[in-house]
Amino acid sequence: MVILLIVGSIAIGFMVGVLFLGLSRKVKARIHWRYGPPLYQPIIDIVKLFHQESVSHGFLFDFGILLSLGGAIVCLLFIPIGNIIPLQGSGGLLVVLYLMLIAPFGIALSSAEAANPNASIGISRKFILALGYEIPFLLIVLSVMTNYGTTSFVEIVALQRASHWGIISMPLSGIALLLILPAMMGIRPFDQVGAPQEISSGPEVEYGGIYLALSEIQHIYLIFIDIALFVALFMGGSSEPLTFFLKMLPIFLIVILVSTVYPRFRIEQAFSYCIKWPTIIAFLGLLLVIWR
Amino acid sequence: MDREQVIKALKDSGKWGHKYSFWVVYFCTGCGIIEIPPVITSRWDAERFGVIPVATPRQANLFLITGYVSVKTLRAIIRTYEQMPEPKYTVGFGSCPINGGMYWDSYNTIKHLDKYIPIDGWIAGCMPRPEAIFIAITHLWTMIDKGMANAYKKYRKQYKYYRRNQEMALGELQWPPLYPIDKDE
Amino acid sequence: MYRTPGLETTYFTFLNYPLKLKMDWLSWFFGIAIVSINLFAIIFSLSDMKGKKRLDLFYLLMLLVNAGMLGVVFSGDFISFYVYWEIMSWSTFLLISFKEEGWSAGLKYIILSIIGSFSMLVGMLAIYSNLGTFSIGAIMKEMHYLSTGFTFSILVLFSIAFGIKNALMPLHTWLPDSYTDSEATFTVVLSGMLTRMGVFGFVLILYIIVGLTRFQYIGSGWFSHVLTYLAAISIILATFIALLQDDAKKLLAWHSVGQGGYIILGIAYGTTLGVASGIFHTLNHAIYIALLFMVVGAVELRTGSRDLNALGGLRSRMPVIFYTGLIGIAGFIGIPLTNGFVSKWLLYKTLILNHSPFLAFSALIGTWVTILYGFKFLHNIFLGQIPAKYENVERAPFSMRFPVILLSLAIILFGVLPGIPLRVIGWMQKTMGFEVAKINIWGIVTETGTLNTVNIFFAIMLTVFGIYILYRIGFRSKRVAREDTYAAGHPVPRDKYAYTSEFYAPLFRKIKPIFREWVSIFFEKIVKFGRSLSDRIRKIYVGDLGTYVLYIVLFLAFLLILRMGWNLW
Repeated sequence: MVILLIVGSIAIGFMVGVLFLGLSRKVKARIHWRYGPPLYQPIIDIVKLFHQESVSHGFLFDFGILLSLGGAIVCLLFIPIGNIIPLQGSGGLLVVLYLMLIAPFGIALSSAEAANPNASIGISRKFILALGYEIPFLLIVLSVMTNYGTTSFVEIVALQRASHWGIISMPLSGIALLLILPAMMGIRPFDQVGAPQEISSGPEVEYGGIYLALSEIQHIYLIFIDIALFVALFMGGSSEPLTFFLKMLPIFLIVILVSTVYPRFRIEQAFSYCIKWPTIIAFLGLLLVIWR
Repeated sequence: MDREQVIKALKDSGKWGHKYSFWVVYFCTGCGIIEIPPVITSRWDAERFGVIPVATPRQANLFLITGYVSVKTLRAIIRTYEQMPEPKYTVGFGSCPINGGMYWDSYNTIKHLDKYIPIDGWIAGCMPRPEAIFIAITHLWTMIDKGMANAYKKYRKQYKYYRRNQEMALGELQWPPLYPIDKDE
Repeated sequence: MYRTPGLETTYFTFLNYPLKLKMDWLSWFFGIAIVSINLFAIIFSLSDMKGKKRLDLFYLLMLLVNAGMLGVVFSGDFISFYVYWEIMSWSTFLLISFKEEGWSAGLKYIILSIIGSFSMLVGMLAIYSNLGTFSIGAIMKEMHYLSTGFTFSILVLFSIAFGIKNALMPLHTWLPDSYTDSEATFTVVLSGMLTRMGVFGFVLILYIIVGLTRFQYIGSGWFSHVLTYLAAISIILATFIALLQDDAKKLLAWHSVGQGGYIILGIAYGTTLGVASGIFHTLNHAIYIALLFMVVGAVELRTGSRDLNALGGLRSRMPVIFYTGLIGIAGFIGIPLTNGFVSKWLLYKTLILNHSPFLAFSALIGTWVTILYGFKFLHNIFLGQIPAKYENVERAPFSMRFPVILLSLAIILFGVLPGIPLRVIGWMQKTMGFEVAKINIWGIVTETGTLNTVNIFFAIMLTVFGIYILYRIGFRSKRVAREDTYAAGHPVPRDKYAYTSEFYAPLFRKIKPIFREWVSIFFEKIVKFGRSLSDRIRKIYVGDLGTYVLYIVLFLAFLLILRMGWNLW
C-alpha cells in the first residue's frame, strides 16, 4: 500500500510539475505577444534528452545528480498532497527542511566534477542564493511550527482545516514566503544560478543527454515542492489532490507573472534583497506569533 | 495532434523528440548571426517550433553556422561540433559556408565547410530571411522522418578524411582525435 | 529523579589525603573517545612526523597529553582533577609551540589556560573551605547545603575555566591560531578531544555535582539562559568567520568554535534530548574533525600547501583521501545517514518543541553556513582542474589512509545505527537524574514523533536505486577526459581555468564588515590601552635626581596633610 502511494505521489508530482513548466513557457510567450510552444513541450524535451548520448566526467558526476534527484523525490514524499501522504509521522516539517539541502549539494558535487569554472561560479552563486533565502525561510518555518506547536505536516494541515487558513493567522509569514518563493524556485529575478548568458548555464554547463533530463526533472520537482509547501503551510492543504492543485495554480501564476517582468538580479543584489525585507517581515511575524 | 500523429510519436519517440525540440548552440560565427535574434524573439517566434538557443554545445543538438568561416573560427567550430552529443544536425546558413560566398577569393576564409565537418543542409542567401530558417527546420523534420539526416554518422565513418582536411587547414591540432584512427593508410 | 554516583576507588594517599578515581558512564564514554582519537592520531603520525626533529620529545608529550586527558575524566576528587588538568594543559602548550611558528599561538593558549585553571582552583578551594572535602562523590551529596548565591559564583568560576578550554565566545581567541600553527597530528588530538575536555567539565559541574534541579534555579534561571545565548552567538559568529577563511586549517578551526557552541547550547539547555544531543555531538564532532584534519594533513604532506586559493583537482591523484573527505564533509554538514545529522536533529527537535525559536534559528543557520564553507573546502582542494605543479602528486601513505577509512566508516555506522552510542548516553543520563527516553538501535522513540532513521534510509536508498536503474536503461554515457570541458571552442588553458580563489566573493563583500573577530579586536584594544597607560606612567622616571627628591618631599607632605586632616575628621 505504501509502495503504491509512493509511486503515485512521484508520478503525480511529475505530471503536475510538467504541466506547470509548460504553462510557464506558454504564459511567458503570451505576455511577450507571441505564441509559444505547446503545453506538452517539456515532455518532448525530456524524451529527446533521454534519446541523446550523454557525456560523463566520472563516478561523482553520475552520482551527484542522482543524489540530488533522490533528495528531491524523497522530500516530495513527505509533503501531504491532498490525502496522499506516503511517509508520515517521521518528523514532518523538519525532515523536509533537512532534505531540501540535499538537492543543491548533489548538484554541486556533480557539476564541480565537470572541472569547469563556469560550473564552479554557478555553484557558488547557488549556495549564496540558498543562504540568502534560507534566512527568512527558517524564520517562517519556525513561526509556523511555533504557532501550531507541532512539526508534523499532517497535524498542521488538520489544524488549518479546523480553524482557518495559515495565511490568515500568520499573515506576515505568508507574505514573506511569497516574497522569497521566486528565489527558492530559481525563477527570473533569481535565476543567476543557471544563467545561460553570463556563465554558460552554470552547473549545467557539462550536462548533456540524460544528465540534463534528470536536472530538468529535478527542477520540476523543486518547483512542485516549493509551491506545495506554501499551499500546505499557508493555504490549508486540502482533503483531495484536485483542490490541492487548484490552490497551487494561482500561486504559480503569481510567480510566473513576476518572472516575466523583471530582469535578472546580480547575486549580491539577490542576497541583499533576501536578507532585507523578507527577513524583517518574517522576523516580525515570528515575534507576533510568540507574543500571541 | 490527431491520432496518427500520436501513434507515430509513441512508436518512434526518439525521432519525435529530436524533431520537435531542436536546441541550437548559440554560436555566433560571422555576419549571419544578426539574423538569429529576430528569429528567436517575439516577431518570428521560433519557440513554437520547439527551437531555443542554449549556451553550451553539450546541451545542444542543432548547430547553425551562420556566415563566413575564417580559419580562427574553424578551430572553434570543430571543437564545438565535437563536443555536441550525438545525434546532432548541422545547417549551413548563408552563402559563405557553401562556396565562399562574398569572400570567394580571400586568403583567410574557408570556402567549402563541407570538407571539415559534415553538413545536413544549406540555406542559401546573403542573408536569408527568418522564414527561410523555418522552412529549413521543416525540411529537417522531413529528413529526420525519412532517416536521411545522417551527417553525424558520416563524421564517425569518415573521420580520417575529415581529420586530414582539418590538419591541412589548421596545422597541428591541439586536441586528440575524437574517434580512433589507425595511422597506416 | 535522583543522581547516582559511579564507582570510586582510592589510588594514592598524598599527605594523608586519599586521592580517588571514579568511573561512571560519562567517564567511560569520554575515555573511549579519547583513547580512540589518540590511537588514530599516533597511527597518522607515523608518516606525518617522519623525518622531523625531536621526535622523542613529541611522542613523550603526546603520551602525556593522553595520560592527562584520561586522568581528567577518571579523577574522583578535585585535587587529581586539577593536577591532571594542568598536566594536560602544559603538554598542550609544548605541543602547540613544537613548530617554530606555533610559538605565539602557544603563548596565547597558555595565558588563557592559566587564567582558567586559576579560576577553577579558586572555585575548588571555595568548595573545600565550605564543605571540607575535595572528593567529588562526597560533594555531590552535600552540595545542596550551599546557598544558591554561593553555587552561582562557583558555577561562574568553573564556567570561565571550562569556557576557555572549550572556546566558548568570548573566550575563544586562542583557538584559531593554535589549531593552524600546530603539527597536523597534534591538531587531530587537540580538536578531537582536548578542547572537549571543557565539555566534560561542564557536564561534570552542571549535572553531576550541582544537579539538574538546582541548576535550573541558579540565579533564577538566568545562568542557563546566558550560557545558551552565548553559545548561540558563538555558533553564528564563528561559522560566518569560518566562511571568510583561506587557510584550510583555519577554516576547520573556526568551524570547531561553532560546533563547540552547538554542544554547549545542547548541554546548557537542560532537557533530556538537549543534553543527549550535546554529548553525542561531542563524539560525532571528534570523529569528523579528526578525519578532516587528517585529510588536510595528508594534502599538506604531499603538496606542501594548505592555501585554499591555490590548490585544486587533487581528486584524481588522491582518491581515498577525497572520498573519505567527502564523507567527512557530509557528516560535518549533517546530511541524513551520517552521525552529524542525528545529533543536530535531536538538538533542533528539543529547541523547537520547547519553544525557543531564536535558538533553533541560530542552530539552523549554522548548518547552512556550514554547507557553504564545507563545499568550499571540498571544491577548492579536490575538484576542478588540476594545476600543473600538482600533476604528479603521489597518493597518501597507508598509515594516513587507514585511520581516515576507519573514521569515515564510523561516521556512517553511527549515522545509520545511532542507537549504539545513544544507549550509553541514555544510561549516563539516568545516573544524572534525567527522565530517559526509550532508545532502540534505530533511534529514539519519543512521544512527539519518532526519529526513524531506518525509514529515511530506506526511502533514500530505494529512490536512488530506482533512479539508477532508470539511468541504466537509457543510453550509456561516454566517459571524457577532464580537459575535454566546455571552453567556448578552445582547448582548456592550463592553470588558468579554475574558479577557486575568492570562492564566495560577492558574499564576502557583504558580510566582511560585519563579521570580524570582534573579541580579538576588543582584547587588542585593551592591550593597547594598557600599554599606552604604562607608557605614560613611565614618564615619571626622568632620571634626574632633583625631581626624585621633589617626588619624595611631595609625597611626605601629602602624607602629613592626610594625617592631620584625618584627625580633624
